[in-house]
Amino acid sequence: MSVLEIRDVTKAFGATKAVDSFSLTVGDGELVCLLGPSGSGKSTLLRMIGGFETPTSGHVAIDGEDVTRVTPEKRPTGMVFQSHALWTHMNVFKNLAFGLKLRRLPEAEIKRRVEAVLELVGLGGFGHRATTQLSGGQQQRVALARSLVLEPKILLLDEPFASLDQHLRERLREEVRDIQQRLKITTLFVTHGQDEALALADRIVVMRDGRTEQAARPDVVYREPATPFVAGFIGTMNLVDGAVANGTFTHSGFTVPLPVGDGAATLAVRPEALEIVSANGGGMAKIHRVTDYGTHAIVDIELPDGTRLKSMTSEARDWSHGQPIDLKPRAFAAYRDNAAIHRSN
Amino acid sequence: MSLSATSDIVGTKTRRGLTGLLLVAIPVFLVVWMIIWPIISAIGRTIWLPNDGGTGRSFSLETYKFFFTDQYSLNNLSVTLWTTGICALLLVLICLPIALYLRFAKGRLAAYVQGLAIFPMFVPSIILSYAIIRVLGPNGTVDLLLNSVGLPHIRSPYLTPWGPVIGLVWDNIPLTVLILLSGLGNVSNQSIEAARDVGAGRLAVLWHIILPRISNSILVAVSFTVLGIFSAFTLPYVLGPAAPEMMGPFMQRTFRDLNDPTNAITQAVIAFCFCIVFGLFYVRSVAKNRNP
Repeated sequence: MSVLEIRDVTKAFGATKAVDSFSLTVGDGELVCLLGPSGSGKSTLLRMIGGFETPTSGHVAIDGEDVTRVTPEKRPTGMVFQSHALWTHMNVFKNLAFGLKLRRLPEAEIKRRVEAVLELVGLGGFGHRATTQLSGGQQQRVALARSLVLEPKILLLDEPFASLDQHLRERLREEVRDIQQRLKITTLFVTHGQDEALALADRIVVMRDGRTEQAARPDVVYREPATPFVAGFIGTMNLVDGAVANGTFTHSGFTVPLPVGDGAATLAVRPEALEIVSANGGGMAKIHRVTDYGTHAIVDIELPDGTRLKSMTSEARDWSHGQPIDLKPRAFAAYRDNAAIHRSN
Repeated sequence: MSLSATSDIVGTKTRRGLTGLLLVAIPVFLVVWMIIWPIISAIGRTIWLPNDGGTGRSFSLETYKFFFTDQYSLNNLSVTLWTTGICALLLVLICLPIALYLRFAKGRLAAYVQGLAIFPMFVPSIILSYAIIRVLGPNGTVDLLLNSVGLPHIRSPYLTPWGPVIGLVWDNIPLTVLILLSGLGNVSNQSIEAARDVGAGRLAVLWHIILPRISNSILVAVSFTVLGIFSAFTLPYVLGPAAPEMMGPFMQRTFRDLNDPTNAITQAVIAFCFCIVFGLFYVRSVAKNRNP
């Protein structure tokens, strides 16, 4: 059953369309990540779901009820902001209790719910603390708890971990995932971090210029990107523009058999799928640099025209700068006119 | 580290400390010379009065006793406190909506409103006084307009206690708006949106989120306006009644018309004592903001 339905929503700021004819349906208890670069419209879309922006056209429905023109305070959504947005003149307890007090719940009920949600986010006993005494991670937990305590139908998270360091970000996203699964709360999570989206989401919606590029499970988005943009945005991808003639893709000496019609094409190969072998003669390319990460090595490859590709290999010592090599893509995709025309797995 | 290197560092720190002290020495000296000393001198002159024979001085609180037993002086103090209180209240009530509008409104109209709100800052008090007389005084613009449509004259605030109130409020709008606006600048849009998200309507956002966050700014604005209004001269002198009069004109008249500097200074010391209370509010507020 769908909890959220976005139908053909457009948001224009003057002549610029931040969100352009966007549609999405989110199921009950689903965690959907809106992923895209800055300016792709993901935050604007989230703000329209939260009621902070009104769509120029289109409809937003929650639980089948049209909320397109409903103000934020009357929507069954809870939003966690990037900057935490805690009220510094209130302590942690009061921050959480504020929404419940507005709903005129009895004091005992407020106390019970606030304490329960503080336990849930791992901040039991922090109620009396001033928000300014908390670390960045704790502040973000309070912001999450403030939304959860109201038991919203949809939890909206707008790049909530953007201001935190990498280690804390990883820990918190695991905690958010655990909490989301425990509460089975429908969640929309805005991020421009692909790792975050891949680790968290039931479904990823990749956005570009206010439109959907691809909406699919994380593994599908990663393994079968629908467009060259998605291919380049999710994970590291070698994208090579070239031409197909007589079933062979060619770009500056790099050739791959490609059983599609003649014409221009973009070849997409993940570094882990691009095998390199020593060349007997001149080879297709040369090693430019080898970076050893211990568990694996990344080999930077240079084609004759200067195009750089990356290959992931388990052994760094096999390769050295200037060494001639041949390239053997084990799995790849080819795109033409912004659509996949071939996949080889 | 060698002993000589350590002593070099200590020497450098001492020199830096001296440079710092020298930098603040001039303003400190000016404050002592032009503010602290005149205060001490004024208080001294009102409690060490010349003896009856004209030889020497002795300690006496006679001038203060006179002020606090003289009904006319007390009426003047009372009207000053009344005017200051009413002005402070009106300024907060008028300027807070203007500042809120300017903080949250976008577009050209907000820019015009800001220009209009700041405009009184560039109008000298004497010009403002005569403008108010021309508009609200007897046979002023308002009277003429009412007369032209057959309505009766207004009861003019000119030469009543409300005359200085209108002038002082108008005159202090820019400073109050600017202070409140600076306070509102510290209230982030996201903290307001977070409040709306948990169910707060506009009034609840104002009461529970905005006002507590700008309470310091309101206190600073009120302190500033009170300090200015308590010792105001031009507007109360031109627009106010002859009696009771505000402390500014009262001091001037006692000093010049009655040629009684000792009582004029006593009035000034009493006015200073009232002002210092609000000054302390201001200092406390600034110190609170500086705390980490």
